[in-house]
Amino acid sequence: MKPALPAAILIAAMLCPVSQAEDAATWRIVNFWSEWCAPCRKEIPMLNALSRSLEPLGISVVGVNFDEDPRAVTLEIAARLGIAFPTLTGDEVAALNLRPPEAMPTTVILTPANDVAARLVGLQDEEAIMTQLARLGLPIAATSSRQP
Amino acid sequence: MKAKKILVPRMAGVMLGVFGLICPVAAGESGRDAVTPELLASPAPAHSHLSRVTSDDTGTVYLSWVTERDGLAEFAFASWDGSDWSDAAIISEGRDWFVNWADFPRLSVHGDGKLAHWLRRSGSSSYDYDVVASFYDPSRQRWRDGTLINTDGIQAEHGFVAMVPTGPYRTLITWLDGRRTKSEPEPGPMTLRGAEYASTGERLDEWELDSRVCDCCQTAAAMTSRGPIVVYRDRSPHDIRDIAIVRQIEGQWTEPQTVHDDGWQVAGCPVNGPAVAARENTVVVVWFTLRDDLPAVQLAVSRDDGEHFTAPTLIAGADTLGRVDATLLDNGEIIASWLDLRGTDAHVMLSRYSADAEFIDTVAVSPILASRRSGFPRIHSVGNTVYVTWTQVGDANRVKVARVRYDGF
Repeated sequence: MKPALPAAILIAAMLCPVSQAEDAATWRIVNFWSEWCAPCRKEIPMLNALSRSLEPLGISVVGVNFDEDPRAVTLEIAARLGIAFPTLTGDEVAALNLRPPEAMPTTVILTPANDVAARLVGLQDEEAIMTQLARLGLPIAATSSRQP
Repeated sequence: MKAKKILVPRMAGVMLGVFGLICPVAAGESGRDAVTPELLASPAPAHSHLSRVTSDDTGTVYLSWVTERDGLAEFAFASWDGSDWSDAAIISEGRDWFVNWADFPRLSVHGDGKLAHWLRRSGSSSYDYDVVASFYDPSRQRWRDGTLINTDGIQAEHGFVAMVPTGPYRTLITWLDGRRTKSEPEPGPMTLRGAEYASTGERLDEWELDSRVCDCCQTAAAMTSRGPIVVYRDRSPHDIRDIAIVRQIEGQWTEPQTVHDDGWQVAGCPVNGPAVAARENTVVVVWFTLRDDLPAVQLAVSRDDGEHFTAPTLIAGADTLGRVDATLLDNGEIIASWLDLRGTDAHVMLSRYSADAEFIDTVAVSPILASRRSGFPRIHSVGNTVYVTWTQVGDANRVKVARVRYDGF
């Protein structure tokens, strides 16, 4: 079976301090999406899979509807787009105090203290996000949503 | 409704002081007296947004906006004679409109002719919509029935319209046309199209101006001494999304060329189109870019009708959200509008440059919500006065309008 992730990611993960695994409990991957954004729609299946695979590590994937629709509309759109990860409420988004995205989609990795650790603009794949997590010292080496 | 002074100048002073310390735009360093934004009483009612400002040949200013209530969208305008607004006049209304914060109706006024467009849903998908335009009939003093501008008959996205009069009774309309995005088995790219219309609504000609452009950014058009130009965000096969220009010279459209090779590569939707202003052979383009995740609003000038441009001048750096507009004063100076963002505080900014793109000053016009709900502030100049409009977000959104007089400065 091929390794699930590139060697660079595995090495980076191996070098990270074990103690950081505790902090991983509250790291968040915040994905700004919009219904009209084709690249946003394209990365949803990847984010769904990533959400499932990272959940055991306590890293959560959450979504933000960039269009700021009412909550009921947002949930309706999320369901229609097949978004399986939680979508933040307007108040939750406001509490994060994040800079509005300059382009859609934008994915932000937040530390447990809600500091922006990484900001990924445009369509991402799993490898790009996992690489960022590894660079941040999160123990993701054994985790991948990819099937062998 | 009379003009009244507002408290913005005090805020502008604070902003200018802050900028003097940390902003790449050296506001307030010109040695001239500070210009003062003046808030005008808005003719737009509660629940209004998506405003634009334009003028006719006599200098009369027109403010347009959209209101939404109970599912009914209404497109209206009022004119400003220098001291008062006229009563609001309704252009059109509908329950099947596509109303969007970035892609919204436009009013063009030229001579005794008026032309307005809006967007109408064409299918069940949320983002299938057509461009509809109405031509004003001055002899009957009424708006003609809406005309479908994109005639492809494909349920896809059509919008981000720009308009520019090309003659006494002619107007160029350009738009992003998604007819190829519904291709099978693989969706094709968004295209840029243009068509020239007579003031009666007759279509005179139509062209595909670029076969592959960014899907979600506004387009802009202007008239030069050699003909109309269209400025837009391009999209290369490798997702480089820099600003491009096409020009019509003696009836023929040029191949697209970039205004500057920023090299912003992004597989995403910037929703941050460029602005253009032109007078005779001078063309000014203002745009947002984000190469290497570094936000920048830039300005480039052409002295040959858009064939060649100067190297970009940086207007704003890390703390800008873009959402730009541009206009040229009668004295040749350049005004660029952009959004400044510090923490959660955003402001509508006007930066002034000489005809040679030398910085003169920057003024904060108004605080604004950074959220998409505040839309895209728009500017337009008459003589040496700039009119600015934006949306004040609240329980009931409301269009605001101000002017900044550069006479004597």
